[in-house]
Amino acid sequence: MNYLECFRAIARHRTNEVVITSAGNSGQAWWAATGDSVASFYLDASMSLSTMFASGLALAQPDLRIWAFMGDGAFCMNPGMLMIERELNLPNLTHFLVSNRVYGATSNAALPNFAQNDYAAIARGMGLQRIFEFRKLDALERGLSQMTAANAPGHTFVVLEVEPFTASEQALEQPPFNGTELKYRFGRHLEAVLGCDVFGYRV
Amino acid sequence: MPEQKATTAVRIADELSSCGVRLVASLPDNWLMDVIETIRRDGRFIHVPVNREESAIGLCSGAYMGAMGSAALMGASGFMTVIYALTKINYTYEIPLLLLATLRGAAGDHHKHHISNGLYLLPVLEAISMPYQIIDDRDDVGLISRCYRHTRTYSRPMVVLFTRDLLRGRH
Repeated sequence: MNYLECFRAIARHRTNEVVITSAGNSGQAWWAATGDSVASFYLDASMSLSTMFASGLALAQPDLRIWAFMGDGAFCMNPGMLMIERELNLPNLTHFLVSNRVYGATSNAALPNFAQNDYAAIARGMGLQRIFEFRKLDALERGLSQMTAANAPGHTFVVLEVEPFTASEQALEQPPFNGTELKYRFGRHLEAVLGCDVFGYRV
Repeated sequence: MPEQKATTAVRIADELSSCGVRLVASLPDNWLMDVIETIRRDGRFIHVPVNREESAIGLCSGAYMGAMGSAALMGASGFMTVIYALTKINYTYEIPLLLLATLRGAAGDHHKHHISNGLYLLPVLEAISMPYQIIDDRDDVGLISRCYRHTRTYSRPMVVLFTRDLLRGRH
């Protein structure tokens, strides 16, 4: 399935979820699909930590629904993250593993063992139970309706098999914000919708 | 556990709780086991054992954005693996984070495999301009709260380094 079409489909099914993206292509694709810089946090160059970041947020705010994207390049750097995700088993967190079988952010460099890696099997091996895999856009559209309609009993793990970015897609704009601006945009949004106090600390 | 070590671990837990820490993510170090066990049993905390130290950085940083106080607890060797995560997440986005680590490789540590930490841990902290506070005495455990507050003022991470004498007693 085409990477950008996949993200556009996911964006169409979004209701009130906040989104955490990973390094490189997932940030570009989500920015291209949504232009959102308020309820989305682009954790650029995080090298496998986007879902850990999302887990901390989900743990802190159980009423907040969170989607976290991660490329399989990042996943391969730290697959043990799934042990933590399984143990926490947070029903308000969905981990989208974007499998393009390359290091997309670095000119589609080859990923180790790319042809054999079975991410859903790895997740099952770590005890995850709510696992989805999508290889076609129409199946994704149907599956997203099913996924978002149900009250998840625990953590959700979704494997998206997509084609690597083309040369023209690699030239897509990165979200044009520096880190601190993103932090405040996202944090102020959370404060507004949750009534919590992210930045209110005073000495 | 010996009384002095138990008291030190409880005092550290009390101090963390007093400054609003709720989530503690940890990886073990033999010197830290009493602290970790104390926190694990303490209902004031959500204790999350993690698979690697970088995961603790991600978890605690996300918890900050959710308005939950947190601390990452690890050994010196583990700390040496998280420089990229700290500089990319906590420096780039200016996300506060309190780390608690062991001051391995200093006088009193008889493990030769920690010589590298003795040589390079403090120089690495200085190289990335990361403030640190060494705590060597139980009467100074209260500095943890001061350091936690400093992370909020500074909007970046800070590490508290526990000595062997603090955690295991002088020998």
